[in-house]
Amino acid sequence: MPHPLHVPRVNNNDDVVTVVELKVAPGAFVRRGQVVGAVETDKAVLDVEADRDGYVLALVGQLAQPAAVGSVLLWLGDTADEAVPQSTGAPASAATGSRGKPTAGARARLKALGLRAEDVPAAGERLTEADIDAWLASQGRPAADASAPSAAAAAPERTPDVAGTFEALAPDELGMLHTVLWHRDHAAAGYIELEYDPTPWEAHAKRHAERHRLLLPPLLPLMAWRLVELAVQQPRLNAAIVGERRYRYAGVNVGFTVQAGQTLYLTVVRDAQRLDAQRFVDAMGDLQRRALARKLVPAEMTGATIAFTSMARWNVSRHVPILPPHTGLIVAHSAPRGSGRAVLGATYDHRLLSGFDVVQVLQALAQPPQPLAGDPA
Amino acid sequence: MTLDRDAVKAAIRAKVLALASALGVHDATIDDDDIIPASGLLDSAAVLELVVWYEQTYDLPLQQDEINIDNLGSINAMAGFLLARKGGSVPA
Repeated sequence: MPHPLHVPRVNNNDDVVTVVELKVAPGAFVRRGQVVGAVETDKAVLDVEADRDGYVLALVGQLAQPAAVGSVLLWLGDTADEAVPQSTGAPASAATGSRGKPTAGARARLKALGLRAEDVPAAGERLTEADIDAWLASQGRPAADASAPSAAAAAPERTPDVAGTFEALAPDELGMLHTVLWHRDHAAAGYIELEYDPTPWEAHAKRHAERHRLLLPPLLPLMAWRLVELAVQQPRLNAAIVGERRYRYAGVNVGFTVQAGQTLYLTVVRDAQRLDAQRFVDAMGDLQRRALARKLVPAEMTGATIAFTSMARWNVSRHVPILPPHTGLIVAHSAPRGSGRAVLGATYDHRLLSGFDVVQVLQALAQPPQPLAGDPA
Repeated sequence: MTLDRDAVKAAIRAKVLALASALGVHDATIDDDDIIPASGLLDSAAVLELVVWYEQTYDLPLQQDEINIDNLGSINAMAGFLLARKGGSVPA
């Protein structure tokens, strides 16, 4: 993937510098920390170092020409033949202007994000929070997400020394990659599990199936529905941490994993709190069926605010799931065949929930809801 | 497409047994009126797979509320529902 090396800031007052040296040419391989050029103002000269290993794909900055701080000086790639993005090849800051010092609000955002002011081009006289949001969006990071990436996320990745070839990832593989990276970079994940007696739930699901003449056993959808009820009672379960604030979701969007061949989908029932149990079972069944038929639309695979998964089909005894992006809780169900026992586990964001919170959720989830008056015995 | 009840039933039975075999249940048998989810041959995901196969094979898009025991609970029920929806007569 092409990686831009930006024009650095030399001092606080100069938003435009002059490129006075370029030591590399397209096709050259450079090491992280290697000096690839130099820029100057009327006050100082600054060496520009590569921030990662890679091949020089293209030079954007031109010798003896001015360049805006934060614009692209050159592009690096993992291989020498990667295409350079055309839309961002031009000096971004030259087009938009990178002139001002950050406002107070922008300074706070920069600090929370672990960014420097010179990393973000300003559209006007001062660098504003809107500039930061726009820049985050251009980098593929959520504007509302004020979490700084971890040091591990920023570390350059080296191509193995063993012979091999690169392959592009399929869309679902990319989706999984992004999910795992969000979990790694933005969550403080913990895991707790609880063994429980599956008999009451199985009896509850059987009664429900008979009452509604269901073809598909509703045990797992009903357990996911119970999680919805708990999330309504305890809104902290249906939230995410953004920076140093809790982002409480207005609706409960339940993610539920569906394995369709080699592809794992996280199907999402939106605003599940508006449904009753059977309508939820129907909604989930419809999504599962269309996942197998590869007929889901993006809105049905995004926006989860809480999640449920089961690997009972594969006789798995323990399953530690990855948190979907911007969620704080995913519950994992397992029921090893022939063991007479079942397990509920939960991966949670420890910034949002304590272990005690999660134990209480699992204890509540381990029991089916009490029958309502008038329900058949 | 002309649908023959016996051919439809044979195809459904073959699919049920193939799904059961994929779950490690080999040499299984199932009668035309056996309730498929209660047979123990298929888990819930396999029943779902059977329904999706049924929709696609016979070009029969289903509404969620049509997916119930009465319409699709057995081989006989599935064949009958298909022929009724497609306008074919169902021999006794």
